[in-house]
Amino acid sequence: MLRRSFRAMGTDIELLLDAPAGARAEAALDRAEAEFERLEQVMSRFREGSELSQLNREGRTSAASPDLVHVVELALEAREATGGLFDPTVHDAVVAAGYDRTFDDVPAEGAAAEAGSCGGGVQVDGTSIVLEAGTRLDLGGIGKGYAVDRVCELLAVAGPCLVNAGGDLAVRGGSWPVGVSAEITLELTRGAIATSGRDRRRWRRGGGEMHHLIDPSTGRPAAGELLRVTVVADTATDAEVLAKAAFLGAEIDAPRVLVTADGRTVLAGGLA
Amino acid sequence: MTDTSHRAYAVVLALVVFFVSWAAVAAKPWVTAKPDPRLAALAQREQRLRADARLVKIVVDRRLAAYRAALGLRQAQIAQSKARAVAVTQAAPAPSVRVVNLPPLTITRSS
Repeated sequence: MLRRSFRAMGTDIELLLDAPAGARAEAALDRAEAEFERLEQVMSRFREGSELSQLNREGRTSAASPDLVHVVELALEAREATGGLFDPTVHDAVVAAGYDRTFDDVPAEGAAAEAGSCGGGVQVDGTSIVLEAGTRLDLGGIGKGYAVDRVCELLAVAGPCLVNAGGDLAVRGGSWPVGVSAEITLELTRGAIATSGRDRRRWRRGGGEMHHLIDPSTGRPAAGELLRVTVVADTATDAEVLAKAAFLGAEIDAPRVLVTADGRTVLAGGLA
Repeated sequence: MTDTSHRAYAVVLALVVFFVSWAAVAAKPWVTAKPDPRLAALAQREQRLRADARLVKIVVDRRLAAYRAALGLRQAQIAQSKARAVAVTQAAPAPSVRVVNLPPLTITRSS
């Protein structure tokens, strides 16, 4: 089993490849790592020079890359499918909550945070993307899921593999035991897993606890009884969207593990 | 007596004719009344507003038509997308997962 770990997209990336060591496997792992870097340069809101940052600054682009167009379209479809629970236009709300730089640099304490606006219009037509005035996109979660799916496809040519980007993971071939909590391990032979929760990426503003999962209806970090939701789906992109929607209270039809704030763990959607 | 009365009537009549004539001349019926400049300005403004309203209506009608066309296109795209999603869901194998008692190779956590 070959394993490679590195940092990308503000999180720890782990590539597992069930193939004999050699030049072919190394080349596949190199391609996978380079693909993460390439997609981060497209979709990071923390890189001034990324395609997404440029779109957010200018409000429009007429020559978006196929990846950016595809992810924005996926995000808009997810917004419609979840009735707005998943919303790529939460950028200003996340920034208003205090998550305005890479998480490692976010101060643990700070002044009270404001609510941000969500739900702005986004038009995609061919390679053209136009944002409504005052609307900016955050593709952090869905972008990571998309990258996991892409990289998994690339890596799979070298053998059965697992790609894990800080909790969003996908597998191709083989069977992979994945730890969801100290007590629960899921064996995944096909598909993907994503976890959304407020147990990590937390900080405080004005004495209150903040996190990065914004409720688009309030423009503030979501409040609720759930601490963490893990969802299994066909792709990491779908799992990411479903996990976020489930965390915000949506009833979804997918295998999932829910952890409540008081520590209870609930298996649902056919898991036993 | 009669002559005196006649003279008095004639004087009164002359006076009446004089004042009526005076009033008629003072009224200057041969001079046409000057239009009030404020009324003229109001009329101009009304005409301008009517022209603007016609233009705005044309623009709104065009935008509404463009919006309806875009809406139709978007609804068709959504329908296509939904049909594609349904087809993919029906065609793709469902994710395969079960709870096991094995040591994990990796973990998932809040991303």
